[in-house]
Amino acid sequence: MRTLRFLWVLGLLPPCYCRYFSGETFSEELVIRPLPDGKVASRFEFTTLLHGATPRNPQNLSVEDHSQHYTLFPLALGQILREYAVTELHLTLNAGKWNYDRWGYPEESDVATGASLWAWMAEGSGSASAANARHRVDARWRDLRNALAGLFCASIASLDEQRTTSPGRAFTPVGALPAWPASVQHAFRHASLPSENVCTENLTPFLKLLPCKSLSGLAHLLNPHRLFDADWHGMGLHVSWRPNEGVQVRLTFQSVSDPLRAGGNSRDWSLRLLFDRVVDRACPVAASSRIIVTLPTKELYSVHPEPSSVVDGRGAFDLSDQSFPLDLRLRWAEPFQHATVPSAEAPLSVRRMLRGSAQDHGALAISITNPDSDPVSVVYLETLPWIVYLYLSTLELSVGGVRRPDLLQDISYIAPVPHGRAATLEAFLSLPARSTVTLHIGVGRSFLRYTEHPPDAQRGWDLPGAVVALLPAASGNQSSATDSTNKGAMQEMKKWNQPQRIYTPALLVDPATPDFSMPYNVIIFTCSLIAFIFGSVFNGLTRRFVVLKSPE
Amino acid sequence: MPPHVHVHPDGTSLRDPSRLFYQSDYIRRLIIASYWLFIIAAIPLWWHITSIERLSLPTARVHAQAANHLRFPVQIQLENVQDPSISTSLQKLLDDRIHKSQGLDVQVRHQNDPANPIDSYVVRAAEGVPSANERHLTHPVRPATLSKLADLLTLLLVPPTDAHRVAQYSPRYRLAFTLLNEDAAAGGAISGWDISGAISRHLSPLLTPLSVLHNFTIESQVQFHAPLAFSPTSLHDGSSYGLTPEDLTVFVNSAEWSLSSSVSNDPVLHFIVFVPSASRRPLKILDSNGLPSSSNAFLLPQWGGIVIYNPPSVESELQQDTNANAPLPPSALHALFSTFATQLLSLLGVPNLPPDISIASASTSTTQKIPSDLQTTDALTGWQLDALLRRRTSENAKGAYDTLQSIVKLVDQIENMPVGEDVRGDVLDSLSALEELYTPSLPLPSTLHHSSTALTLASRAFFSPKMLALLYFPAEHKYAVYSPLFASATIPLAAAAIREVVAWRKQRTEAVGVQ
Repeated sequence: MRTLRFLWVLGLLPPCYCRYFSGETFSEELVIRPLPDGKVASRFEFTTLLHGATPRNPQNLSVEDHSQHYTLFPLALGQILREYAVTELHLTLNAGKWNYDRWGYPEESDVATGASLWAWMAEGSGSASAANARHRVDARWRDLRNALAGLFCASIASLDEQRTTSPGRAFTPVGALPAWPASVQHAFRHASLPSENVCTENLTPFLKLLPCKSLSGLAHLLNPHRLFDADWHGMGLHVSWRPNEGVQVRLTFQSVSDPLRAGGNSRDWSLRLLFDRVVDRACPVAASSRIIVTLPTKELYSVHPEPSSVVDGRGAFDLSDQSFPLDLRLRWAEPFQHATVPSAEAPLSVRRMLRGSAQDHGALAISITNPDSDPVSVVYLETLPWIVYLYLSTLELSVGGVRRPDLLQDISYIAPVPHGRAATLEAFLSLPARSTVTLHIGVGRSFLRYTEHPPDAQRGWDLPGAVVALLPAASGNQSSATDSTNKGAMQEMKKWNQPQRIYTPALLVDPATPDFSMPYNVIIFTCSLIAFIFGSVFNGLTRRFVVLKSPE
Repeated sequence: MPPHVHVHPDGTSLRDPSRLFYQSDYIRRLIIASYWLFIIAAIPLWWHITSIERLSLPTARVHAQAANHLRFPVQIQLENVQDPSISTSLQKLLDDRIHKSQGLDVQVRHQNDPANPIDSYVVRAAEGVPSANERHLTHPVRPATLSKLADLLTLLLVPPTDAHRVAQYSPRYRLAFTLLNEDAAAGGAISGWDISGAISRHLSPLLTPLSVLHNFTIESQVQFHAPLAFSPTSLHDGSSYGLTPEDLTVFVNSAEWSLSSSVSNDPVLHFIVFVPSASRRPLKILDSNGLPSSSNAFLLPQWGGIVIYNPPSVESELQQDTNANAPLPPSALHALFSTFATQLLSLLGVPNLPPDISIASASTSTTQKIPSDLQTTDALTGWQLDALLRRRTSENAKGAYDTLQSIVKLVDQIENMPVGEDVRGDVLDSLSALEELYTPSLPLPSTLHHSSTALTLASRAFFSPKMLALLYFPAEHKYAVYSPLFASATIPLAAAAIREVVAWRKQRTEAVGVQ
């Protein structure tokens, strides 16, 4: 009897503890970086890895899927990924304009204003029967948008066909695309909505995807009152497949807060100052949980508590070593001096403008400055809704007033379809050392149908920002990556270092807007006119003339 | 010859200066008539392009369904019974108990009767404890026990049900298992469970026979922070907490617990293990007198089941770290899933066996008395499954008929409601599925299949968004827009026509007067 009891207790012991956790890992990290202009950039990253999982093959969509059992992985997201057989998915919701000239590169490179969604999905079974129509890429892309719109309470559903594009070079998969049989090709879909406002209603569902919600661990610092008061903020969802690891979900939140606004001319910050909260307990299921702080290199400072380790001027605080409540504080000895010249940290500076006051035509001008001493080659991508169309013949490229058409190579342009499809312009651009390349292209503006205007038609339309993607220096020419010859049994595992993308701010275009009481005026006016003409003609045709004898 | 033209003796026509030569009554009347002809000819076209598409619905066929009643023929064969009079008296007893309205045609026969094997049940006469398996019932059959046997058969064939508790029929259910820790950061929480093992051990034996009725999608998740929307009351002994019956009604905190699914419209049955936070243990369910009840589980009708799991207190000397989170121990998992299995069965409407019957395991003939709370972990008997199939079928058939009738009534009442090709098609398909239901000697699973098709199609037609298309765009609006045109154009037309008719009659009376 005693041995029996002992065996029963054995069942409770750590061996099975490890078994349940071997399938999923969750880790969290907060990176805090003081910026040269006195602001503080912070980036939260929550990573959940589902070990050994593979994306669903859309050829099997008509077959019953296996049951989904998750411990740390968000079920609501898992359902969407399996139901629509999404291989890789990225969603960013950002508010404001990332100032590359003052703040340098963001930790998370995708900082496009508003909502953007891009995904890789394989083609479903190709037959045209009605049951399989829902398995096609475009049908699943539509359903995916609707599902994510529901999940994140954002207007992602309005990223319809008119905003969907498939640029091929500026975006590459972060993970790998599974090597399914040759008939299954992966398709890329991208859509962005710059006018999306990001607010608390998007953060609440975001927090619900985390295993510890916002109740413990680093996520407790995500205080909507402070985050949405920041100079810039944005959240992201990145799902990718790592062949030897599994499906990874990365939830990120970035913000730029301004300690100088708190009063005093001091850029000293603490967690309490930035987020109005402190970490009061660790997330019990996080495999690793740490805060990384970039420490000043030139000035005198004090940091409290002491970091667990310091590598390359970055102090790491492991939450397992710290006592709670944890409030990090960084102090400078000297008060902050505003720099007269913003210190450019980004290697490129991009400006983009829409010129011309006419309602039916104008010009798009982009100037890219390369301050570096080496030439740089980039992919330049414009995705424009069909209300703006480009005149490619007017494309002019100049450096310091001298025309240099040779800098632009390999242009691919997908013309817009009015009322149907967005335009995509993608090209390789070589930027000579220490120069400013100016690109000038004439644009026309379409007339919109009466019902196509947004509710606030007088405000105009937001054009998504252009994307300038710096190609990784190591792989000098892009053609090797897109080479179709090495698509063997296993599609080549794309390099981890992604092309660094720079997003320009959204532009506002003002198409001709009608007077919206017009239809009723037109009806009434036309009716009156027709009645008048009809009356005159009818009277003229049927009038009875009578001769009267005038009395002499 | 027009009256104002006179003929000169030399053949040329003479003009009367008191009459105008370019004016002809005939042409004027022709012009007015052609206007009116045009309008009258255009009316059908106008009618056609402005009317709403309203295809005719098979109203008569829908109403004819009222005359149909589902009949389920049920045969009971008696085994090992020598006395032939027993079958007639059992038949009489059963007819008294099972009313015709319940749709059962019970026939009691002797064994070896050459009858069709559809829905036949076997009652084997044997002494001892009554036991059931598959479609067999072992029961003493003597004149003295006949009335007890008839009671038992009635309970087996027409089991009593709680209609409020049972989830609405759907061809597919999503079973969502959720392990909720109220506050894992406080320590002592449950960090995981062997869910796939528990499902294959405890639920798969049930889900396999039930797959005749429903398909199931199973999913599970673990949450580490699931706060309650209220504070449980502290009990008098100071060390435990209680949930009053009122608390149970607001127990599910759907705002904080992310339970909803965003990808499908299938109804979800939730099964929740709630682990109270370390500071609120043990959490007990109180009865209406405020006393802790022995049960730790409750059922939310048509929604799911909830079990409160209080991890054993950490006095065990083997556990070093009292605050460590541990996975759910297998023994607790076993107890939880037995409860879930019972809850699942009652949510799906599977009838319980009468309490004084034991299940005979199908493999061996030995019968064993199983405690009633564990009996559901055994496979279901054919008696239970058939009773459920019959109930679901008649519910679906009634639901489909009611829905069809509502559609017909609604379309009849609201004249602006469009009826398109798809709505009509769904109604017709639903009707034909409903009519197929009444073909005699159909096996039970396919009757259920037809009834479920009929119900699904009827509801799809009822909720078709196209039926609302023009509902809120009344004809008055159209007239308001058209009246500036129509009024100003038709008034001169009408006036001219009337004037012309008056003039013509006057002319005629004058002409008659002249003659």
